[in-house]
Amino acid sequence: MKKIKILTIILGIVLITMVAFFGVYVQKQNRMEDKVKDYSYAMDLKGGRNIRLTVDDTVDTVIKDADGNEVTDADSLTDEELAEKGYTKEETKANSEEVLNEENYLKSKEIVEKRLNELGVDNYVVDIDETSGDILIEIPENDNTDNVVSNIGTTGKFEIIDADTEEVLMDNSDIKSAKVMYGAASATSSGTSVYLDIEFNKEGTGKLKDISTTYVQTNTTNETNTTNNTTTDEATSSEETEDTEKQITMKIDDEEIMTTSFDETIETGRLSLSVGTASTDAQTLQGYINQASSMAIVLDNGNMPIKYTVSENKYILSDITQNEINIILYVILAIAVLALLVLIFRYKTMGIINAFSYIGLVALFLLILRYTNVVISIESIFGIAVILILNYIFINKLLSKLKKEEKVDKATISVAIKETYKEFFIKIIPIIIAVITFCFIRWEPISSFGMVMFWGILLISLYNISITNLLVRIKESKGGKNKNGKETK
Amino acid sequence: MEKKQNNEEVKKEKNKMTKKSKILIAIIAIIIIAGAIITATIGLNFDLRYKESKKIELYLQKDFNISDIKQITDEVMQGTEVVIQKVEVFEDTVSIRAQDITDEQKQGIIDKVNEKYGTEISKDDIETETIPNTRGRDIIKPYILPFSIATLIILVYIAVRYRKLKVLKTVLKTIFILILSQVVLLSIMAITRIPIGIVTIPLIIIVYLLTLIGITTYFEKELSKMKQKEAGE
Repeated sequence: MKKIKILTIILGIVLITMVAFFGVYVQKQNRMEDKVKDYSYAMDLKGGRNIRLTVDDTVDTVIKDADGNEVTDADSLTDEELAEKGYTKEETKANSEEVLNEENYLKSKEIVEKRLNELGVDNYVVDIDETSGDILIEIPENDNTDNVVSNIGTTGKFEIIDADTEEVLMDNSDIKSAKVMYGAASATSSGTSVYLDIEFNKEGTGKLKDISTTYVQTNTTNETNTTNNTTTDEATSSEETEDTEKQITMKIDDEEIMTTSFDETIETGRLSLSVGTASTDAQTLQGYINQASSMAIVLDNGNMPIKYTVSENKYILSDITQNEINIILYVILAIAVLALLVLIFRYKTMGIINAFSYIGLVALFLLILRYTNVVISIESIFGIAVILILNYIFINKLLSKLKKEEKVDKATISVAIKETYKEFFIKIIPIIIAVITFCFIRWEPISSFGMVMFWGILLISLYNISITNLLVRIKESKGGKNKNGKETK
Repeated sequence: MEKKQNNEEVKKEKNKMTKKSKILIAIIAIIIIAGAIITATIGLNFDLRYKESKKIELYLQKDFNISDIKQITDEVMQGTEVVIQKVEVFEDTVSIRAQDITDEQKQGIIDKVNEKYGTEISKDDIETETIPNTRGRDIIKPYILPFSIATLIILVYIAVRYRKLKVLKTVLKTIFILILSQVVLLSIMAITRIPIGIVTIPLIIIVYLLTLIGITTYFEKELSKMKQKEAGE
């Protein structure tokens, strides 16, 4: 009976091991497909999107009239015709020579990093060429990557200008923060409106108050008195209402967002701009939210002092090949096998049983990592190795305690297990604290390590109290044995 | 008489420990000093992926084996560290990165690739890109916050758990040992010229965790000794 029980558990372990290491293959459309979920790999093992932001060196030619105003419909004119009309050509560089310096390159890099953080990118590499100003970025490849790429290269220049004179009234320096807000479209209609909420700093609040007082729609009523001398000699008066409107234009990255005037004075220092309204279509609404949040992220982190263009945008696979990962895993497994042989050599039958238990834990651990979507990175591979070592230490401790016992029975097994748990977990409490902290960090390499360690430690605690404990108890169930292995009554 | 003998044995034991400790401190000091000198003079040895380097990309129009390209680069750029990566989802372009790629080396690689894959890549079509170096502080920056938070919580735990061993003493000891272990690790890396690369951060994490186990084991021993003393009294 004892042997059957042990064999059943061992068979179960073998089954889990087969599933974990070789998978479950099912025929699907003339091919065999592994039904076991694949591992999710981090950027260092899977590769990532490589983006190169190059300093924009384009030169725009602007035609201006004699008063210095821009002429938009004179592109087809020859130089002579331009001269005849008194127009002049002016060349404006996307980046003036003054802004192209190391300080601005580093500031741009800093802004890129801030944007990446706010866009939820949890693993990135940002390098800067301090001579040319080029910024090289590597980010993980996923559904959000294209959205990230479209946002990191933009300058993020915010301006509120006078619609007539083009005088800059407010700019990025006045912004405190920007965020997305959404709420009911109106009291009467259903639907959700998405707003870009810009909060201004103290200076900006003052400026906004002034602007919202000045740039308003005003109704001026002119009373006109006319006298009809021909028929009645009766004086008549008429009222003429004239609308005068001073407007502002809001621009983001030199692109006109809106031209409007204010209905009331804004004293709160907040400006809510409607991005769009959707009644039932969740996809449209999500689109508006994404659009607003992209704008918010760009505005929230200040504008780049230098204008950049995306000159390279490629997915490059990792230089660590699957073969190299396999080699690392095989080395870890080989060490584990050697360690188990030592365990068997030291503790004989008990060693064999616990070696099986150990293999079962490894297999179950790998399956858990697949199904809990834990990202496998270089750090987490080290985490797996640490868990294997910790479990080995645990089992070794337990077996050495049992070996020391004069008589091994139910009571002594209970005591040995309790003591092993106590000694083991008291020593690793700081590790548990570190691991749980790492799990909550939004940096993939460290969080993946934390997650691997968390599941590993949880598994060590639950697996050993159930499976290892059970195997040891079954093995010693028929009466006790003394340390020489002889049955005791 | 027995008490005297016991006392002498304890004294001998303590002397042995002090000698061992002195040797250990001397070794650690030597490692740190040597590490500091090497870091200040030669600097740390960064892996190619973190160094300023040159990169070329060749469109091979077909699937290829990295080992074949490695063979070509080994022939053309003997003894040079090279990183070879597949580009884009179709994996038909190869990216070759080395600390420096001269025009001759570029031509050599292109010739061999053309010969092997039947392509007609011209040297003039291939631009050599400069990849800037990754600054050491940029590698470490994302890890400072997690380690600081974790250490802070651990220090609170240690202060509470080992309060009998004097809070300030245990906290300061923990901080000192944690820093010391990392400095020793970096010094060893500087002395042995182990490249700062993809395994550096995992190594730092492992050393951090091992140090924590060491610290807890030490404090647990101290605590049980104190408890035994108290029970004896």
